[in-house]
Amino acid sequence: MKLRQLFTLEGVNLELKAETKDDILKELIQLLDLDDKSETILFKTLKRRENLGSTGIGKGIAIPHCRSLVVNRLRLAYGRKPEGADFNSIDGEPVHNFFLIVAPPLEVSNQYLPVLGKIAQFAKDPDIPTHLQDISTPQEFLDLLEEKAP
Amino acid sequence: MSGPSDTRGMDPQLMLLLELQDLRAQRKELAESEVAERMQEEHFHIDPADARSHLDEKITEIEQELHPRIRARYAQIVPMRDRVVVPVINGVCYGCFVSIPTATAGDRDSPAGVQSCEHCGCFIYILN
Repeated sequence: MKLRQLFTLEGVNLELKAETKDDILKELIQLLDLDDKSETILFKTLKRRENLGSTGIGKGIAIPHCRSLVVNRLRLAYGRKPEGADFNSIDGEPVHNFFLIVAPPLEVSNQYLPVLGKIAQFAKDPDIPTHLQDISTPQEFLDLLEEKAP
Repeated sequence: MSGPSDTRGMDPQLMLLLELQDLRAQRKELAESEVAERMQEEHFHIDPADARSHLDEKITEIEQELHPRIRARYAQIVPMRDRVVVPVINGVCYGCFVSIPTATAGDRDSPAGVQSCEHCGCFIYILN
């Protein structure tokens, strides 16, 4: 499945307001439109994953991800913070682009790891940060995925 | 910011069980999937052995926070099932796929209102 098919317009926010790592995770989670208790659990799980080591992979990109019972299918969201935020990234630089990936503990289609790999690969394309910086609507984000992501 | 930090209305014991479930899923994946292990090393610079050890510590820590009766039941279920807590979606328990009336699901002896499926014994989490 192509990455484009896994994102929705509602799951894209090009103007994240949050300033701290925790609040950014919360704002990303809100893009998934879960109920409050599911959001709470998911936040804790993502935090636990971040405690293992930051998902900020460098070049202004972070990919917070986890498996959680609160979703019953693979869910993805994208958030952009043009001015960047400290996310304890591997390269120590501010992060501007956040790809959230959440999968249920057991998936019939087993897409979680391949999708995580595809996004990491997509993000490593040296042109992608500039393209992400230039988009101005959620639709353009989806179009970029269509064009650049396998 | 509201939302994820708002824990009102959620049973604290169920919340612990859900955390345990998610941590166990992460632990299992790191232990059993070479792809997951390689990906965490390559893209996120995580040492899988350290990560597993860290997750084990957290799992043990949270298990100690469970009510003794819930912990005892949890300990019974863990060796038998990958999933200790399962969702109930549209009235169907996803542990055994048997339809259970939400109103009657539960364990009268269970403290603090944590519910379980009377068919498979798993703790249940009702998804809207």
